[in-house]
Amino acid sequence: MSENRWRSRRIGYLLAPMKLPILMATALPLFSNVFAGVKSGHAEAELLSGVSSFQVGKPVPLGIRLKFDPGWHGYWINPGEAGMPLSAKWTLPEGWKAGELRHPVPKSFKTGELSGFGYEGEAVYLVDLVPPAGASDAAECRVKLSWLTCNDSACVPGDVELSLTLPAGDGSPGKAADVLAAAEKKIPAAPGEEVSLNVKEAGDAVTLQISAPESLDLTGVKAYPATPQTLADTAELVFTRTNGTWTAEVPKNEYAEGPITLLDIVLDGGKLSAPLSVSWRAKK
Amino acid sequence: MKQHTFLGAVVGAMICSATAWAVEPGEPAPAFTVKNTKGEEVSLSDYKGKVVVLEWINYECPYVKKHYGSGNIPKLQENYKGKGVVWLSVNSAAEGQQGYLAGSELAARSEKEGNKASQIVLDTDGTVGKAYGAKTTPQLVVIDKEGKVAYNGAIDSKDTTDVADIETADSYISMALDSVLSGKTVEKAKTKPYGCGVKYAK
Repeated sequence: MSENRWRSRRIGYLLAPMKLPILMATALPLFSNVFAGVKSGHAEAELLSGVSSFQVGKPVPLGIRLKFDPGWHGYWINPGEAGMPLSAKWTLPEGWKAGELRHPVPKSFKTGELSGFGYEGEAVYLVDLVPPAGASDAAECRVKLSWLTCNDSACVPGDVELSLTLPAGDGSPGKAADVLAAAEKKIPAAPGEEVSLNVKEAGDAVTLQISAPESLDLTGVKAYPATPQTLADTAELVFTRTNGTWTAEVPKNEYAEGPITLLDIVLDGGKLSAPLSVSWRAKK
Repeated sequence: MKQHTFLGAVVGAMICSATAWAVEPGEPAPAFTVKNTKGEEVSLSDYKGKVVVLEWINYECPYVKKHYGSGNIPKLQENYKGKGVVWLSVNSAAEGQQGYLAGSELAARSEKEGNKASQIVLDTDGTVGKAYGAKTTPQLVVIDKEGKVAYNGAIDSKDTTDVADIETADSYISMALDSVLSGKTVEKAKTKPYGCGVKYAK
């Protein structure tokens, strides 16, 4: 099939349900088709929008989907002993703001001898953009992505620049809304107020205590430290219930500087219906 | 002779795991003898009384490429050699692993990369790497004139593969060397090294 016929077939498929101005995903220096990933190193990156237009007063939900080549992994916000998290640098129209990148729950793996946290297969990160009051022009949102993929033998970086343009409108769901909804389920959420984390240090040993209602069962849960260089990345965090609280003992990270003042832990799996993120901040 | 055997045994015991036995700043630098790219023996004891830098290399690693492609490490090598520092580039990759190069090939590749080290040495069985807790390439160790480890960790403060970050990063290696050369305590003696994993034998 010739290049042009393939392109118009893809666009036709998209226009049918949408009836709205096309969402254009372009990648420099090549023009690529809507929703096509751009390959760099051992991953392909795509910028997705959950809406087909933006509406002032509503956040614009975007997704960054990374597809890793088989055998290669990418890294989490705490990459572990080595590795590099995804970096996203935005170029947005005047007054637009980008929120924090939200990372999906990782898995733990080893790269050679080094322990790490990250992703194999695919990872979809979510981020909200916020249009300023009075925005009415179509907005071109560009992002420079940098990542690292490694296997046991090598590490290869990836760099792409992606963009998409959104017209002003009613902010109704776009074609990628389903992908973003599925991705949301893999992003840890803050639990209710009844769940809290406490952190105590004694020399090189750190004791984590999670207080939670009886109904929260952390048996078999995988726990990951989201705050880099705080807990030993080589240690497995296992919570056991003692006297109504869930406790885990883990060595402090050998590169931690001074007393721990903040810690975020991600909990996933076991009997949890959705991944959680519990946070502790030292009292001032 | 006896002392050599004792140190040899200590180094031997440290082979167990790169992370479990990492030599901490303040501790005596483990002795070693390795061969350079010409096949000549190089021992740490050859440089008794001098400030020595150990720099772990793997020219295929994007983090090493960042610091050689930009000329950052070669500049550091020249600068500090000029101040009497002995700079050893160490290749601890096992044969068959990424970054491994035999003597003459390692010499040729090092020349191409602009490496200005005093010596480029092969640590193919990983003994030296594991004795010093070398986890990544690059990783930098500074040994002071008294033969103690004064610094062990990252080259600088920006854990990325982006050359543009070198300028604005804190150069931990420069800070450590400047302190050691002026007889001051190194403020940041231990930092988390960043880079690709050292490719020890599997």
